Amino acid sequence: MSNTDRVPTPNQWKEHIKRLTAGGASYADVRYYSEDLSGNISLHNGNLVNPYSGGSGIAQQSESGYGVRCLYGGAWGFAASSDPAQITATFDRALDNAKTAAGRVSFPIRLADKEVLSGEFVSPCARDPFDVPIEEQIAFLNGLDAVLNQTGVAQRAINLSATRTKIEYYDSEGAEIRKQIINFFPSMTVMGRGTSGDMQRRTYKPPRLGESRGWEIMDPEHWHTEGERLVRELNELLVAPACPVDTRSVIILPDMMFLQVHETIGHALELDRILGYELSFAGGSFVRLEDFGNLQYGSTRLTARADATVPNSPGSFGYDDDGVAAQNRLLIDRGTLVGAISSRQTVTEANAKAGRDIFAGSGGANRACAFNRTPIERMTNINIDPGNDGNLDDIIADTERGIIVSGDRSWSIGSNREQFHFATEIAWLVEDGKRCGVVRNPSYQGMTLDFYRSLTAVGDASTWEVHYVPNCGKGAPGQIMQLGHGIPVCRFDNVKVGE
Amino acid sequence: MTRNIRSKNSPVFVFDTLNQLREHALTRGVRATFSWQREDSRLVRYANSAISLNTTEDVTRLYVTALEARRSVSTSAVIDPYDVPAMLRIVDRAIEMLPHASEIHYARTMPCLSEDTYTEANFDPELATIDGAEITAFVERATRGLETDDIMLSGNFSTGVCERAEMSTASPHINYWRGTDAGITLVLSSLKDKWEINAEQFVWRRADLDPESIYERLAWMREQYLTRPGVRLPLGAYSIVLGNAALSEYAFFLSYLSASGRMEKLGYSMLSTDDVGKQVLSPLCTMVEDPALLATFPVPVDSYGRHRERRAIFDRGVFTGFIREQSEADEYGEIPTGHDVTQLSLALLPGDRDVRTIQEFAALPRDRDILYIPYLHYVGLVNPSAGLITGTSRFGALFLKQDGSIELPYNVRLTLSLRDLFGKHLSWLSAYSEPYGSSSSYGARNPGTVLVPVLGGFEDVEIEISNESF
Repeated sequence: MSNTDRVPTPNQWKEHIKRLTAGGASYADVRYYSEDLSGNISLHNGNLVNPYSGGSGIAQQSESGYGVRCLYGGAWGFAASSDPAQITATFDRALDNAKTAAGRVSFPIRLADKEVLSGEFVSPCARDPFDVPIEEQIAFLNGLDAVLNQTGVAQRAINLSATRTKIEYYDSEGAEIRKQIINFFPSMTVMGRGTSGDMQRRTYKPPRLGESRGWEIMDPEHWHTEGERLVRELNELLVAPACPVDTRSVIILPDMMFLQVHETIGHALELDRILGYELSFAGGSFVRLEDFGNLQYGSTRLTARADATVPNSPGSFGYDDDGVAAQNRLLIDRGTLVGAISSRQTVTEANAKAGRDIFAGSGGANRACAFNRTPIERMTNINIDPGNDGNLDDIIADTERGIIVSGDRSWSIGSNREQFHFATEIAWLVEDGKRCGVVRNPSYQGMTLDFYRSLTAVGDASTWEVHYVPNCGKGAPGQIMQLGHGIPVCRFDNVKVGE
Repeated sequence: MTRNIRSKNSPVFVFDTLNQLREHALTRGVRATFSWQREDSRLVRYANSAISLNTTEDVTRLYVTALEARRSVSTSAVIDPYDVPAMLRIVDRAIEMLPHASEIHYARTMPCLSEDTYTEANFDPELATIDGAEITAFVERATRGLETDDIMLSGNFSTGVCERAEMSTASPHINYWRGTDAGITLVLSSLKDKWEINAEQFVWRRADLDPESIYERLAWMREQYLTRPGVRLPLGAYSIVLGNAALSEYAFFLSYLSASGRMEKLGYSMLSTDDVGKQVLSPLCTMVEDPALLATFPVPVDSYGRHRERRAIFDRGVFTGFIREQSEADEYGEIPTGHDVTQLSLALLPGDRDVRTIQEFAALPRDRDILYIPYLHYVGLVNPSAGLITGTSRFGALFLKQDGSIELPYNVRLTLSLRDLFGKHLSWLSAYSEPYGSSSSYGARNPGTVLVPVLGGFEDVEIEISNESF
């Protein structure tokens, strides 16, 4: 869509939508991405090279296009194009696709009522990463690389990944929304081969560091301090004994607990998964509609919410792609399942199938990752409320036999999110209330409900961090989404640990 | 020039377009490479026995890398394929960024094609023109009579045309590939009991679409799941038979964690240069990378113009060496092996067991209990250096008991070393192979498959989590 003189005005987009509704569509919307820019700079062992592809260490990608969605006969049709000459044809294809889909409908789609809004959302960013000269970014990387280039470190990788997206949204109900979202995901990793022969690694992906998330988070002092910590911990890992195969308490730090929550609360409570819309690929959920209000998901210490109003997170985006404003909804209230991650379509269907009003309107979580993908339920900020069990030191002091785990290394989850296996980068043993030495190759596994019901400590607000997820995959065709998790330190008892 | 990707004139159009970009870069005195990817995709998605999404997309992407001495910069964009000025701006953006990149410690080799290569061996005009009505008719036939109020249909029928092309400033030659593909996954699931079964098919031509084989598998599996008892298996060691999907998953990770030279250089390979020439897997295990395997959507020359040849990665269990890309050769002084391609053409070669389907296998007499796992969900790399991976069974496991009866095991988790799986555990492989789709799930359409036996037998494999229900 580089030829901007052929891009419709807002009124012209609305005219195209009107044409579809005149043609029989009961609803239609269009998302126009005037800019979808992503940039990546990678430094690997001092070279501007992508360590995983061997390609250039500086890459920039731009997209522009539009996606049209419409309802006809209770079924969706969708079409997308990057070609401004094909706008009329693309709208027509969306309606044709809906008419074809209407030939096989089991539950006619009805959209929950919403407040029709006109609005704008701009994510907080003090310094746009795309405005930072490349020389300045490379100088930062080189300075940090020098910190990481120490004894024991065989591989060093630093990555700066940024996106800037400008979206216009119009629908047949009259909503008109503009969004500009800048996301920035820097990270650094050190790797080394230990005395056991295994490759070990430590990674730093910063949690929320302030009120905005542009280049301003690249404070050299902060990153150098974190870099020194990574190198120190890597060298401890290289000579550490293996994690024991055992049953212990597991104290999960926020930089790992976010992934636990992501996989076994977030995905499990996506209403489209619960209703069976992801069964052919991503999977379903062990949760049933009759569980809402009844299921003891975890101990009474567990309160979880989907909060798209958290300041400065990729999971806060102003309005979803149904045009619904950001919501803050309880998912689990003191252990009891009460809510789901939802959209206009799925709350209506779920309430009808349950025969009761479980959900009061859309949860505002319908999002698409690009112009050529249709919106589906995506996590916003799936958070655990802070608890009353003190800080990390308090929780350690209260633990007889445990391990403290940090940093995600691998994750594998049952298709209904009923069980899981996680490996982490590093762990520390806890014996008699004291943190002991590092162990390598830590992992833990469990059944989801048993696990959350064994939650015996939740850290206070001092332990609560917002972690970002840049790469949540779901859907067919596949979609990668950005979101967040606000997470305290948590402890679970009687967990199977070790490879 | 027609705007239709399916036009026979399309290769000429792409050549002309890339050549304009090439000449522009040369005019500006910069070395550059250009890659073109265009797709015309259609996806019909089913859920809850309805069409939940019917979508089409026509997207063209341009990738540019500008190189100068030891600097390089890449830019890419989704483009209007007829807007050459916009494409020139993408080239210019790379050129403008190039002086700002710092030098790397080694020189990159510039791709230089010595001849034009046009490959359309995987292009089927019949599949390219399949429409929504024909897709829904296929699905209706493959699932006729199998749905009830409780048993619902889900799935995807994804098809499309993919066109790729490469050129560089080093020569006026093009490496062009165009193909069609269809990937079909159909799932039947019980709302009440939460079990799910599936059947899949991956083809590149319409004549190979076979709704009857999907129907036969789904109907047989459905009968098992309606009539056999569910069971929670005790933890322990089992004789296991893996289906085509599970075998392809393990085969993919075997190549990734052993054959990939880049993983070896990163320290994440389960093998080292010391293992070359050694018997590291069972003699039953031969894995090849073979550009003659049409089912894998091969390309005859790689991005550097090297003619590709069949090569064993494991020859009867002996590791023959790492696959090396040009970038590894440049950085580490290795010899490139002609594998700079979008998708490898991998095959785990068949064995000698004369069995084509799980239906056939289940009907054979057996001297032990056997756990059939057709599919693995969400495989994670627990310890890449040790080849240790974990995953959960999905889509219709069966417990084939020694006495001839069948039970329905709840899903189980396997955490094991690939070296052990394809080593001491491997017992037999079917004499028949099928392709299993391995195209990128999240990015641009780039069809690919791994060719693997339809079934494989493994002994003494531990399960470490056994679910309490479906």
